[in-house]
Amino acid sequence: MQGLASYITGRLLLAPVVLLVISFATFALGRYAPGDYVEIQAGTRARPETIERIRHERGLDDPVYEQYGRYAWRALHGDFGESKRYRGVAVEDVIFPRLWVTVQYNAIALILTFGIGIPIGTWAATKRGTWLDPLAIGTFLLFASVPVVVSVPALQWLFAVKLGWLPTSGWRVHEFFGVELGIFSRQIILPMLILTLPGVAGVARYMRGQVLEVLDQDYVRTARAKGLRGDVVVSRHVVRNALLPIATILGFELAGLLAGSIFVETLLGIPGIGLYAFESIGSRDYDSIMAIVLMGSAAFIAANLLVDIAYGFIDPRIRLPGAVRP
Amino acid sequence: METRRLVLVLTGIAVVLIVVIGGLSLALLAGGEDSGGSGGGNQQPDGSPLPERLEGELRLFGPDPITLDPACAADAGSAEYIVEIFSGLVSFDRDLKLVPDVASSWDVSDDGKTYTFHLRPNVLFHDRSRRVTAGDFKFSMERSLDPDTQSTVGDVYLDDIAGAREFADGKADEVSGIKVIDEDTLELDISQPSSVFVEKLSYPTAYVVDRNEVKGSTCFEGGNWTLKPNGTGPFRLKEWVLGQRLELEPNSQYYLDPKPALSRVTYVLSGGSPLVMYENDEIDITGVGINDIESVRDPNNPLNKEYSETPSLDVFYIGFNAQQAPFDDPKVRQALNMAVDRDFLANDLLAELVLPANGVLPPGMPGYNEGLDGLPFDPDRARQLLDEAGGPEILTDVKLLASGQGASPSQVLEAVVAMWQDNLGVTVTVEQEDFGLFLRDIDQGTFQIFSLGWVADYPDPQNFLDIKFHSQSGNNETKYASSRVDSLLDQARTEKDEQKRLDLYRQAEETIVQDSPWIPLYHGKASVLTKPYVKGYFIPPFVINNLRYVSITE
Amino acid sequence: MTYAEVPGAALEQLAVRPAPSFRVLRRLARRPVAVIALAVILTVYLAGILAPWVAPYSFTDTDFQHRLAGPTWDHPLGTDLLGRDMLSRAIWSAQTTVIVSGAAVLTGGLVLGVTLGLLSGYAGGRLDSVIMRVADAVYSVPTILLLLIITATLRDKVVTVFSDIEDFTGIHGLVSSGAPSYFLVFGALSVFGWVGMARLVRSQVLSLREAQYVLAARAAGASTARILFRHLLPNVTNLLVVALTLSLGAAAGAEVALTWLGIGVQSPHPSFGAMIFQASALTTLRAHPHLIIVPSVVIASLMLSFNLLGDVLTDVLSPRRR
Repeated sequence: MQGLASYITGRLLLAPVVLLVISFATFALGRYAPGDYVEIQAGTRARPETIERIRHERGLDDPVYEQYGRYAWRALHGDFGESKRYRGVAVEDVIFPRLWVTVQYNAIALILTFGIGIPIGTWAATKRGTWLDPLAIGTFLLFASVPVVVSVPALQWLFAVKLGWLPTSGWRVHEFFGVELGIFSRQIILPMLILTLPGVAGVARYMRGQVLEVLDQDYVRTARAKGLRGDVVVSRHVVRNALLPIATILGFELAGLLAGSIFVETLLGIPGIGLYAFESIGSRDYDSIMAIVLMGSAAFIAANLLVDIAYGFIDPRIRLPGAVRP
Repeated sequence: METRRLVLVLTGIAVVLIVVIGGLSLALLAGGEDSGGSGGGNQQPDGSPLPERLEGELRLFGPDPITLDPACAADAGSAEYIVEIFSGLVSFDRDLKLVPDVASSWDVSDDGKTYTFHLRPNVLFHDRSRRVTAGDFKFSMERSLDPDTQSTVGDVYLDDIAGAREFADGKADEVSGIKVIDEDTLELDISQPSSVFVEKLSYPTAYVVDRNEVKGSTCFEGGNWTLKPNGTGPFRLKEWVLGQRLELEPNSQYYLDPKPALSRVTYVLSGGSPLVMYENDEIDITGVGINDIESVRDPNNPLNKEYSETPSLDVFYIGFNAQQAPFDDPKVRQALNMAVDRDFLANDLLAELVLPANGVLPPGMPGYNEGLDGLPFDPDRARQLLDEAGGPEILTDVKLLASGQGASPSQVLEAVVAMWQDNLGVTVTVEQEDFGLFLRDIDQGTFQIFSLGWVADYPDPQNFLDIKFHSQSGNNETKYASSRVDSLLDQARTEKDEQKRLDLYRQAEETIVQDSPWIPLYHGKASVLTKPYVKGYFIPPFVINNLRYVSITE
Repeated sequence: MTYAEVPGAALEQLAVRPAPSFRVLRRLARRPVAVIALAVILTVYLAGILAPWVAPYSFTDTDFQHRLAGPTWDHPLGTDLLGRDMLSRAIWSAQTTVIVSGAAVLTGGLVLGVTLGLLSGYAGGRLDSVIMRVADAVYSVPTILLLLIITATLRDKVVTVFSDIEDFTGIHGLVSSGAPSYFLVFGALSVFGWVGMARLVRSQVLSLREAQYVLAARAAGASTARILFRHLLPNVTNLLVVALTLSLGAAAGAEVALTWLGIGVQSPHPSFGAMIFQASALTTLRAHPHLIIVPSVVIASLMLSFNLLGDVLTDVLSPRRR
């Protein structure tokens, strides 16, 4: 495990460097994009010379590295700037409430994805060779194959307009001890459902593969040969050994969820981070874009690190470069 | 089956998860579980951010404003909130008549260059800390003009005032033309007589703000006071939860009649389809779009009684770069113009949600010329004109610049492009850009054809014709220059006789339409559904405060 | 929109020994699911490639007299808001899908991903570290946000480059054919598309590197390139086939998503994303459901077919599971 420890340390040390690179790349890309927030929000009546003056005063015509230097200096001192979409509000005061909204339904969708995917996958594996296996996997593959931009209006139409069971859109919260929770409102069901369904197939497929793999292992055959009942074998040996690798696709599922959130929030009018990210890019709200990208990257780095550690436990030989060097 | 138990256990886990989470959310709903019924549903909105409806509460759908700082509002979306929360010297009433607001009256000197405003003594800020004085107005207007405030629109509305340019350029410490005579009297001197100066003061940049609150804030920094602004308007901002809801409550000491009658106004800021929210009673007023207009117009539809239309003071048009070949040739512009079937666009494609535009000025605007025919839809004549100008070959690789987001441009533009293709054999591609970038390209003249709309700031033909077609105007995107039009517009600027003035504008418009720097497409209408218990609501053709006329009757 | 992370982990169970291709094909032919999936994919791809000959109308042909019409003999799938034939638009959109997803998977997945994966796995050491750290960095950004920013930034520049090419070579219609936006979309997808493939190939190569036959080849003095492409590459083909199949489906979905957001293929060039965008407002959906059904069914069945085919291939190519 020493290799693992040094590997993790290395990765942790690398994280700030990666963040720095990402932040500069994002910053430069944003600044080279045509237009900036002053030009974009100036309005139809504004005079070109006034816009030019304000851009100059705000340093928007300085070289990119200077602007980045200023930004980095500010950010290191904890000042992430003010939102330009909500003028006058600090970026973190816009982002955290929105992040909280997104996290709530994403977390539930993630739990549901695994909660449904794991049993389905295991079940499909045990039914291998019958028509039930392809049917189960195929059904969820179908859900995974419908683009979010289609499933949102389709389910909206079905559940809200046709059946009238759910509200069409929006976001409502209930307050519990000063914390605003959206998970107890009916508005959360639609986004939750839309994000859960496409992810299940991935988990189920992977789980099925793992279970089949383990079923083929010598010790399982031995256990069977020793006369252990099939379901005992599956629950005692197979599932336990197949569950650890499943953690490794957590990052994969998480990325899918976050990407889906942009569409879900745009279409359903949910005031979450995905919608805000989309708006920020359109309005060249640099400070918001930077904050969101940095936060997202940090989260992904952490998730990937966890995944790699999990890999390290499963098969140190393949994943850790330190360990395989001849 | 040998694995039945395991399957049961695992499915059990999944079911428990689903039941716990799904059931919890369903069961803990705040009461209003109403199974609705098919085809529309009819739920009570749940959740606390839209707390129990108060008696006399109005619920509207609206996007978040970009800013609530009157000095900075450059978009109509922000201005709509600002006009309810803040107020200025003058405003337009519901008949679109310019009336005194914080001022009780004003006098104009004989040379038309000095305006003296007499302020009402009883106008208080929302927090009741003090009354509004002439000094507050001087402070607020100077703040809008101050380069440090970085307002993109301050100078647009206020630089008629003497000394405003010097101040905005940082060459003076104050605006010499804004004079505080005493607490109740404000004098504004303008550098040359203008028929629309007072109208411009109805825009938020001339509104009064609380100097104790705004200190040091600019349009881009330190504006967190706008989350709880201290205004003087008919409503005060009670709470703004970004992206979720914005609540206004009536200002009990409001000084004009009618005083606000609503107990609360809630803007729902999140959600998808306003019409469906309206059907579900989540909001009281909504616009109607192209897809639903036919069913709403059907007299058998219960919604039909709640439907109303009001024309807006605006025009949507396609403009040409009149300084650049081949569009510097009027024949090319006329050809493209006459190949467009406006009646089809307005009446079929947009299902009469708009009115076809024959000229520049919208109906309802003073000086609107009902008899103006404009250039007719005539494909044969159009082809002939284009051939005279050099044939369809001169229009290769032509781009139409439009603003917009998303995967495809508006149906109207796609239809116009198709008409050019069908009637002239000319292929034009539509290029979409974010609105701000689009405006920049328009300003810089880096375009061939563009499409844009223009909404009135005040009901005067000057606001359309002078601003858009005078060769010296900064808003003349087409760079159209006609000495005849210029001289007509110049005469109109100083003409004191209203009838003669309107007549000059009428002549100018006729020339413009013939020269065709624009293809006027249509004038908008506000097509709205209003719940029967909402009384007195109207959609103004441009931004004015209108909520104080509204009341709820059960 | 999970293109960046192609099938990844799920494939690692694939055995490394390639099965003879004719046997694979025979096994595939015995699976009805695979046959149907292949048929769907072929239909869509052929329709797309042959669009100029197959489509009854051009994608811009409007018919203002027959707007929003239901199915008729003239328009088997009805018409849209401007009276354009839905069948023709779907066929032309298929072409967009074929071009963009094909190019993205070829450049990002195959060329970049495989090469970098082979190099990284075989060379090891510093080169491996560099490639994998870059992969980590690419992997840790929120892909779709960066795609949004990249396309926003580069669209103008790409168009300029293409018009320069036009001026320089005298070829006309490059820009108006939509080439810049195709290029931009598949380019952007490629930038993020190689990581999954590279990691996959690398991990396979790592486990093969010390295999007897590779050691033997090395001892016999074979060059690195020869070992990479003659000895290692053939042993990861199984993996590649499955990964490519799945990536093609994912890339098609990604193109729809990007275009829907307005940063992909630009009008008037038709694409499923644009068709869905025009039809996905709830009120439009309620009034004219056929507008969304046509593009959704095509894109969903295409993606489903790729997914199913990938699954069957995984099964068929894996000797351990017969």
